[in-house]
Amino acid sequence: MKGLAPLFIGIFGTFAFSWVGLTVIPTWQIGHLNPESDEEGTDIYPRPQSGMFVRGAHVYAANGCAYCHSQQVRADYIADDIERKWGNRRSAPRDYIFERPVFLGKMRMGQDLANIGARAPAPEESPAPGGAASPAAATSPATTTAAAPASAPSTAPAASPGTSPARAVPPNASPPPGQPTGVASPSPGQMANTTPGGSSPAAPSAQTPGAPWPIQTAGLPPMYSAAWHHVHLYAPRSINPDSNMPAYRFLYERRRVAGERSADALQLSGGDAPPEGWEVVPTFDAKCVVAYLMGLNQSHPLKEVRSVGGAPAAGAAPSPASQGAAPAPPAAGSPAAPKK
Amino acid sequence: MNTTGIPLKDPEVSAAAGDMEQLERAYIDASTRVPVLMFYTSAIAWLIVGTVLAMVVSFKLHSPDLLGGISFLTWGRLRPAHMNVMVYGWASMAGMGTAVWLMARLCRATLRFPLLIAAGAAFWNVGVLIGVGAILLGDSTGFQWLEFPRYVAVILFVAYTLMASWAVLMFRYRRGDQIYITQWYLLGAFLWFPWVYAAGQLMLFVVPVQGVLQSAVTWWYANNLLFLWFGAIALGTAYYMIPKVIGRPVYSYHLATIGFWTYALFSSWTGMTRLVDGPFPAWMITASIAATILTMIPVATVGLNHHLTMQGYFPLMRYSPTLRFTVFGAMSYTVFSVIGVLISLRSVASYVNFTQVSIAYSHLGLYAFFTMTIFGSMYYIVPRLVGREWRYGSLIKLHFWASAYGIGLMTLMLLAGGFLQGANMENPALPFSESIETVLPYLRGRSLAGILLTVSHFIFAYHFGLMLLGLGRTSTVPTFLNPVEAETSGGH
Amino acid sequence: MDYGEQADVQQVHAAVQREKREPRVGAEPLSIWLIAIYGLAIFFGGAYLGRYSGNFTSGGLDPMGSPPAPKKAVAGGPSGGEQAELSPRDRGKKIYAANCQTCHQANGLGVAGQYPPLAGSEFTTGGSRRMGMIVLKGLQGPVTVKGQQYGSAVMQPWDKTLTDQKIADVMAYERSEWGNTASPVTAEQIAALRKELASHPESFVEHDILAAPDEDLPGGAAPPGGAPPKPGEAAKPAPPPKP
Repeated sequence: MKGLAPLFIGIFGTFAFSWVGLTVIPTWQIGHLNPESDEEGTDIYPRPQSGMFVRGAHVYAANGCAYCHSQQVRADYIADDIERKWGNRRSAPRDYIFERPVFLGKMRMGQDLANIGARAPAPEESPAPGGAASPAAATSPATTTAAAPASAPSTAPAASPGTSPARAVPPNASPPPGQPTGVASPSPGQMANTTPGGSSPAAPSAQTPGAPWPIQTAGLPPMYSAAWHHVHLYAPRSINPDSNMPAYRFLYERRRVAGERSADALQLSGGDAPPEGWEVVPTFDAKCVVAYLMGLNQSHPLKEVRSVGGAPAAGAAPSPASQGAAPAPPAAGSPAAPKK
Repeated sequence: MNTTGIPLKDPEVSAAAGDMEQLERAYIDASTRVPVLMFYTSAIAWLIVGTVLAMVVSFKLHSPDLLGGISFLTWGRLRPAHMNVMVYGWASMAGMGTAVWLMARLCRATLRFPLLIAAGAAFWNVGVLIGVGAILLGDSTGFQWLEFPRYVAVILFVAYTLMASWAVLMFRYRRGDQIYITQWYLLGAFLWFPWVYAAGQLMLFVVPVQGVLQSAVTWWYANNLLFLWFGAIALGTAYYMIPKVIGRPVYSYHLATIGFWTYALFSSWTGMTRLVDGPFPAWMITASIAATILTMIPVATVGLNHHLTMQGYFPLMRYSPTLRFTVFGAMSYTVFSVIGVLISLRSVASYVNFTQVSIAYSHLGLYAFFTMTIFGSMYYIVPRLVGREWRYGSLIKLHFWASAYGIGLMTLMLLAGGFLQGANMENPALPFSESIETVLPYLRGRSLAGILLTVSHFIFAYHFGLMLLGLGRTSTVPTFLNPVEAETSGGH
Repeated sequence: MDYGEQADVQQVHAAVQREKREPRVGAEPLSIWLIAIYGLAIFFGGAYLGRYSGNFTSGGLDPMGSPPAPKKAVAGGPSGGEQAELSPRDRGKKIYAANCQTCHQANGLGVAGQYPPLAGSEFTTGGSRRMGMIVLKGLQGPVTVKGQQYGSAVMQPWDKTLTDQKIADVMAYERSEWGNTASPVTAEQIAALRKELASHPESFVEHDILAAPDEDLPGGAAPPGGAPPKPGEAAKPAPPPKP
């Protein structure tokens, strides 16, 4: 080849060809998507992110969570993501339009997280103020589990202060069932959960599909609840001894119990639990990252993608309890399976 | 005496020493000494840092409580730190060192302002240092291969401009009428890297694209970096070293031309194969898979070209370190590409996506292909810069075998483990944790391979250090891997 | 580095001296076999591109243009296919799982003290009118089912959320599941009941339900073993809402 000019043109041309083809044209095709909404303009999905969710995403990025966890559900005819209850439909470009950065992920050393918020149990009645997804533990000495009245899954999320503010679940359009305050007393079935024998946790995890880890040990918060996430981040091997996940202890603080145990304190047991008189509380970053996780929810149906996992076909303003029916019936594992 | 008319600070050399060509080469080598050695020294320092990081990362994956709980040592930060040190610290700098030397030699131009390039190298080092520090302290951007924060990108751009503009200018003012194959590849590399890097930075940070396109841009960038920057440098190097060492011409100009253009055309489209089955329009993914199939054209072409060039001279690999490393690298290119095709096909990708197989693929490309080729070039170039030969042939041999076995074992472990991991992930009857249990022993095997690679790199760094300190052998005969039985003309 | 200190030029340039000349290129022609390989690669690559590109549309997430039929049964429904292909019982089961199961539980036994059971419940197995009223308009306040009192929870009305067909399907499911054997329910019956109750905005209380006749809604098929409808009272409207 003679001459700089043809070489230069060729070098530039081959670069431009792939650049245009793989980035510019797709930007033209799917680079300006808008969220979907129904006829009345309500039920917008997805929603722009804000607050703790955004900061949580940054913590997620900075700590490299995306190097082990993916956040994309593959179609049912390609892979078994949906059979594993990681979603009720495949992910579509529209699911990610408000994410920065996008954490599609390239590795699954841990589960896919695209719908981890949807797989959470019904929001727990949280005595903690502030509305952040605090790992509210029912701190009364008699109980050791967090989801005290959570067995009342018809509690509208709006009614419970314990939910993450930026959750992608649309506001409950159907009138809330008007949970009277009497629900604060745990149902007798729930109380069974708190007995030291912890017989009933076997029921929830056995029933909760898509929870492939071994039966979780007694005394742990319900799987995928905010409290569970905090324990999982702090001491993953207390939940599953075979887990490879690093312990993000630096996201938590160990401090002396000042008077009363803090509502945010993690429920730890065994070797991970702090000594008597000490407690482990999450830093703000930890709360943000858990708020982020609790907000990861792609179960909302999209017109362009077929929902497979049994989402309510009407889709219109389902009760919040049914929202999670597809990925995992959230309270199917509610502790009071047998009627006492 | 000074035939080139360029004022040089070099010592007097007698014209009686050799013919014009040799003198010219000596001058060129002398002029490239400071910048190239600076590149190499920095690169090897980063190699050691990156290798230590790699060991910790590898061990932590199967023993997560090792050094656990500390923020800047958490796996999720060490892994991008390792990757970026290797990509921007080791590979880029070693590649640039080799490329600058090759460009100077082939353009038959002495490096006019070597301190400018050296300054560029210093800036680049600063950028990588800041970037790695930022990642460890929690400022990673979250985009794979582009984890350095935005301010580091600015530093790297400035550094690169200082370094590469001279390389491109050298090409512009080259002497001789033919442009050799290596020069095509190197010119391509020097131009592609800033364009690809700038496009990636622009579309992710300056004018960010929406949603999943960020992932598309990220992997377009990553694969283009792998092929159009590292791959081009490595292929160009191989095209120089192989014919140079054995003293025969490259087999066919036509093969080389086709190989170059098809390589540039098709390899740049392969990025989306890392996102098979993802939330993208199917045509993007399929285009990348089709491009990967089409990269079999340059792979076959280049492979054939090298093979036919080497025909009859393979026994020389027994002696020449450069030849051995370079041929290993060139063969790895073929293996790497074929594996790339196999794992991109949708039916296979549904199994191997999200498994360790993609790690095996990346390391095949960056280590077995690129790094081994660059090692070969360093074994050739360094004696010409320091005026000494490598001191211990045994150390070179150890380096080679430890690296070869190390990367071979690592690839095997990750491919096998990854396939099993994928098979278990695809079996919904098994809990997800089963796939992790399956791959764990292979990860331990990978750590073992990592030990081999660590040993190899420390040996090489030590050996290079000896050369830097002027402790190499003074000899007219190069250091061979094995003693030469008879007096042959196969020396280089 | 002692480049400048060596007086012996032979040694300084030894490496350069012994070098061979700079590489050059031969000009061998292309082999025909290589061209054949190129052709094959282009063919396969092109064919792959043509076949699996989802028509090159932006919305074409599926390589073949549209998703193929589901290859295996997906959880949540026996076939995961279109709703119309499910049997009425399966439809009802799906609706139950999505809407009712969280309170009344998958086994229809409810939660003691909170959610009444449906299995063996007099409201579920009795006439479809009372059950329909509860489902359509909801129920609040204490209620006694199977001798137990339930008072703390409130059942939401489903008239705005579920269509007639869906209410009919889920009621039919509940009335024939868990050992219940009660008459099925049709969408027309629910539609008629909905019209009847249109002026009744609030939830019922137990008193209202018990005031209604325990009969099946008019217009259905003969029940398998339930109480026969009383023709005289079939058209009796719901009692006026209590203040």
